[in-house]
Amino acid sequence: MFDRLVLERRQSVSRKLSGGVFAGSIAVSLAFSGAILVAAGVPASALFDEVIVQVFFTASGLAQTLTMATPMVLFGLSAAMALRLRFWNIGIEGQVLLGAIFASVVALYADFGAMQIPVMMVAAAFGGAIWIAIPLILRERAGVSEVVVCLLLSSIAYLLLQHLLFGPLGDPAKNFPTSKVFDPVSHLTSLGFGNTHTGLIIAIVLAALFSIILQRTRLGFFGRMVGDNPSAAQANGFPVVLTTAVFILISGATAGLAGGVIVAGTEFRLTQYVGLHATFSGIVVAVLARNNATGVMISSFFVAGVFVAGNTLKVFYGMSEGVVLVIQGVVLLTVISGQFLSTFKLTVTPGDTTLKRQG
Amino acid sequence: MQSSDQAKATGQSSAMLVMSGIDKTFGSNQVLQDVSFDLKAGEVHALLGENGAGKSTMMNILTGIYAADAGSIMLDDKVTPIQSPADALSMGIGMVHQHFRLVPVFTGWENIQLAAGNLPDLAPKSILEERVEKISQQVGFTLPLDRPVRTLAIADRQRIEILKTLVLGARTLIMDEPTAVLTDEESERLLDQLRDLAEQNYGVVLITHKLREVMRASDRVSVLRQGRVVLSGASVSAIDQAGLSEAMIGAPAVEQPDRTAREFGDVLLKVSGLDLPRRSRVSVNGTTLAVRAGSITGIAGVGGNGQQELADGLVGLMKLTNGTIQLADKDVTHASVWERRRLGLRYIPSDRGTSALSGGLSIAENLAAATVRAGQYGSIFVPFGKLAENAVDAISKYAIAGAEPARPVRLLSGGNAQKVVLARELDDAARVIIAHSPTRGLDVAACQFVHDELVRAATRGAAVVLISEDIEEILALSDHIFVMSRGQLASTENHKPDRRQIGELMLGHV
Repeated sequence: MFDRLVLERRQSVSRKLSGGVFAGSIAVSLAFSGAILVAAGVPASALFDEVIVQVFFTASGLAQTLTMATPMVLFGLSAAMALRLRFWNIGIEGQVLLGAIFASVVALYADFGAMQIPVMMVAAAFGGAIWIAIPLILRERAGVSEVVVCLLLSSIAYLLLQHLLFGPLGDPAKNFPTSKVFDPVSHLTSLGFGNTHTGLIIAIVLAALFSIILQRTRLGFFGRMVGDNPSAAQANGFPVVLTTAVFILISGATAGLAGGVIVAGTEFRLTQYVGLHATFSGIVVAVLARNNATGVMISSFFVAGVFVAGNTLKVFYGMSEGVVLVIQGVVLLTVISGQFLSTFKLTVTPGDTTLKRQG
Repeated sequence: MQSSDQAKATGQSSAMLVMSGIDKTFGSNQVLQDVSFDLKAGEVHALLGENGAGKSTMMNILTGIYAADAGSIMLDDKVTPIQSPADALSMGIGMVHQHFRLVPVFTGWENIQLAAGNLPDLAPKSILEERVEKISQQVGFTLPLDRPVRTLAIADRQRIEILKTLVLGARTLIMDEPTAVLTDEESERLLDQLRDLAEQNYGVVLITHKLREVMRASDRVSVLRQGRVVLSGASVSAIDQAGLSEAMIGAPAVEQPDRTAREFGDVLLKVSGLDLPRRSRVSVNGTTLAVRAGSITGIAGVGGNGQQELADGLVGLMKLTNGTIQLADKDVTHASVWERRRLGLRYIPSDRGTSALSGGLSIAENLAAATVRAGQYGSIFVPFGKLAENAVDAISKYAIAGAEPARPVRLLSGGNAQKVVLARELDDAARVIIAHSPTRGLDVAACQFVHDELVRAATRGAAVVLISEDIEEILALSDHIFVMSRGQLASTENHKPDRRQIGELMLGHV
């Protein structure tokens, strides 16, 4: 009668296949993105130069991309650590805002001298951890979906931020809702390459550290065990709730730290925009990296490139913000579809669904 | 060709349905072998057999869900191929599955309408209404058809399922373990209704593993064991319960492992008056058990009678409502899973994929789960080189085929994955071992291996609790045998029931 399409799970996915599929997906997504941009009015002849060369192969472009990638590494690590434990941290934005607020409060009201930046960063991490502790507790205690709570808490954090900027933390000398500019002691040191700053070092060190934790330590072992199969972990006597809590708090703290890095490294004050796109970028970066801490560094560089190219396109070709997000979406979709096709094999079986009978 | 033989075999009145010489193989597993079955109008024919005996497969062939590899089905003396469930229904064969096929938010009437949607002759609403009315009266059902199915009691849902099947034109009604979801009272009522249906000249196939239901409600009985018919269409009035249970359980096993050398030591596991909270239809209560070092206590019984709950309670995955558990001389009633493990409790769960192994982690990591948990390799770092070395030892000792230490466990076959579990759980520090269906889904060689390992563990001085539905396994390995039925442990006085007594205890009529 009808041919059937059957999805068959592959026994094992070789590195070669998965790498090939990944490269293929990126190529396909670039082709799609190019088509979208051309349709939106960018001359095809300028595409390669604007999107590839200007973003990755000129000094100023590369510096911009690295600056953009700095918080994204942290967003991605935050999403990846949570996803490892099957926790959808859809509230990275909220945690980033809390981190930014905490760091800004330290910057505006205190001076710890040489310890100023470390104190700000610890405060930022603490803010993020508090904000993720709420969905964590609600999920573990009452079974409330972390997705919903995280999402709503992001909006609450944004309103809190606006309240602070229009009120106690606002700069009375300005009409815009921003805080005063921080004193230089609260700035992350420039690396002397465009706008890049020591936040990049923090991000790289943290990614390496998380990689080591996951792959080499007992904590990482517990996390992988609980994340892979919580019931087996439970039956083997692993502290499932405690392990989950540790990883999720780390996730929130990392997002909070990103907030601190943004205000101390690029904005030098608290603004309304510090959490923009944090959640979405974080998830994209983590998925592209398959929740691998080292991979996060590479994928955030790539995603940051999309944003930087987007900025150029916005300025010179009047592209809207939406187009940039569409392109991110296209990249994510093609890579996820690619992953799906590398884990499953699509086969066609001809004919009837029932076996032919004899006799 | 065979119809005249069949008619002779089954007495005077001719059969409405005859299955003969049915074979069915799944992969390398022959589930049915030369199976024959017949059903007359106006009778309840019970199909008895243990889990996995092939009852459901046989009926799935009859209803067109599976195709037989060989054999034929005759309806009213004509060979009739049945290609699909719709096909079967159009020929008057309908099945009420254990899991109802009803849309919970639809009313009973809407469910019937939905099912009748494909049948042109029932399409006009008035005709369908009339038919539902007529059949309800005929079989004596009064059902609230205007209420959403999810608001109804299970027994009413079941009756709607029966009514639906009859409205769609079934003359043969196959009931797949219908009482499994019912209370005792509801079961009685259902059995009465099945008798009524037979009075109305319907043919009823009653799939069950409860002897009592066979004796109470059916006219004839067939028994399946390991894919073969061991008793074919015997009249219930002419058979005794003992013979029936023996037919179901099978002949005595030939060889038993030699256990004479084993001496029993102290009581290592002592369970007194254990009650567990109700999680499914049955609740475990009043469990009392003492298992000595060097001995194997077998707990037989049909699955779903509280075995999983008991295992969870012993291991610490389920909190008790009453009673105490002692490991050696330590009270572990309120101890966590890990505390019990540290005292030497080991667990081989029935579902290794869900409850024992982390499929995405490597063989080495799975083998080392407990040692890493305990911090034996150090409290911060995990020396993966050392893990791999130890894994190589375990892999060769347990002959885990084709296994590299770094290979993810999910790529292993069932038998090899179970060897990983055994290698981890049957270590030298194992004192009490809870093994739940440890050979489920394994081939003969792997079964033998598991059995040998359990015996070896007992010989080393561990106390073993073997929970299994496989009676051969229980008989072959156990020093003491209990039967779990409806959440309770039962046994003979000396705790050594023979095959027949086990069967009787299992069927719950002792």
